[in-house]
Amino acid sequence: MDTLLFSSRSIWTMVHGIALGGGGLLAVAAALFALIAMRSTHPGGAADAQSRYLAWLLVATAVLLWAAVIVGTYVSFPPYRATPPEGIADLAAYPRALIRSNPATAWLHSYAMESKEHMPWMAAMLATGVAYVAARYRSQLLSDDRLRRIGVSMLTLTLALVAGVSFLGILINKVAPLE
Amino acid sequence: MSTHETRTVVIPNGAALAAFVAAGIGAFAMGLVSLLNAAGMLPVPTLYAPAGGVTGRTTLAVLIWLIAWAVLHSRWKDRDMESGRAHTVTIVLTLLGILFAFPPLWALFG
Repeated sequence: MDTLLFSSRSIWTMVHGIALGGGGLLAVAAALFALIAMRSTHPGGAADAQSRYLAWLLVATAVLLWAAVIVGTYVSFPPYRATPPEGIADLAAYPRALIRSNPATAWLHSYAMESKEHMPWMAAMLATGVAYVAARYRSQLLSDDRLRRIGVSMLTLTLALVAGVSFLGILINKVAPLE
Repeated sequence: MSTHETRTVVIPNGAALAAFVAAGIGAFAMGLVSLLNAAGMLPVPTLYAPAGGVTGRTTLAVLIWLIAWAVLHSRWKDRDMESGRAHTVTIVLTLLGILFAFPPLWALFG
């Protein structure tokens, strides 16, 4: 008899959390580091290639974050919040109901998952704003200290948001994995 | 005079500031919509039933973000502006959005 190693629900959860969310987290960290480290002190001082790579990195960051929130909301979230049939004893296939059934873990829905529903969308919007500026302004983003500082602030908030919701996602998946 | 003269074209910063401030507005909208919806003050239709009300709330916030971006971009794109205020507004709006999307706060309005 064939046994599936991973269900489609589990695979989509890994795509959402590891490939897209984890990839987005790495990408935003790299972009933030690059934006700080590649500072240029005079107009036109940053090499075209450098600013082009940074623009591509930021566009990839935004794409990964949008893909993560869309897959998370429309693919992974429905099975998470599915309502179990009346009288069922084993809630393992119904993560939200499982988490809420125990007072010790109920906060993972009311606090952690409720945060995860909205905050990642903010991160995607912030990253998109910075990616647009990097793509349009190229080396000017690295040489104009005023623009670069706003970009650094926005990417710092993006990184904090993505890291925070990723951590909450890990906690939820530890207690009630989508299998 | 050097024969290797480099010309640098400086683009007015208005389009960049429009993108930054619009992202702050989008984040603020996301937080405010989730807060008002949780408090029962802003009913938002569900767009995809299996995922529930989050689909309507997030779509509304994204629309607000895109509209704000389009409006600010059309007004600022050819202007060179002072960036300090835009920086402050963007950060404050984003932090307020994060605060409003913080579930324990909803209990105060629920």
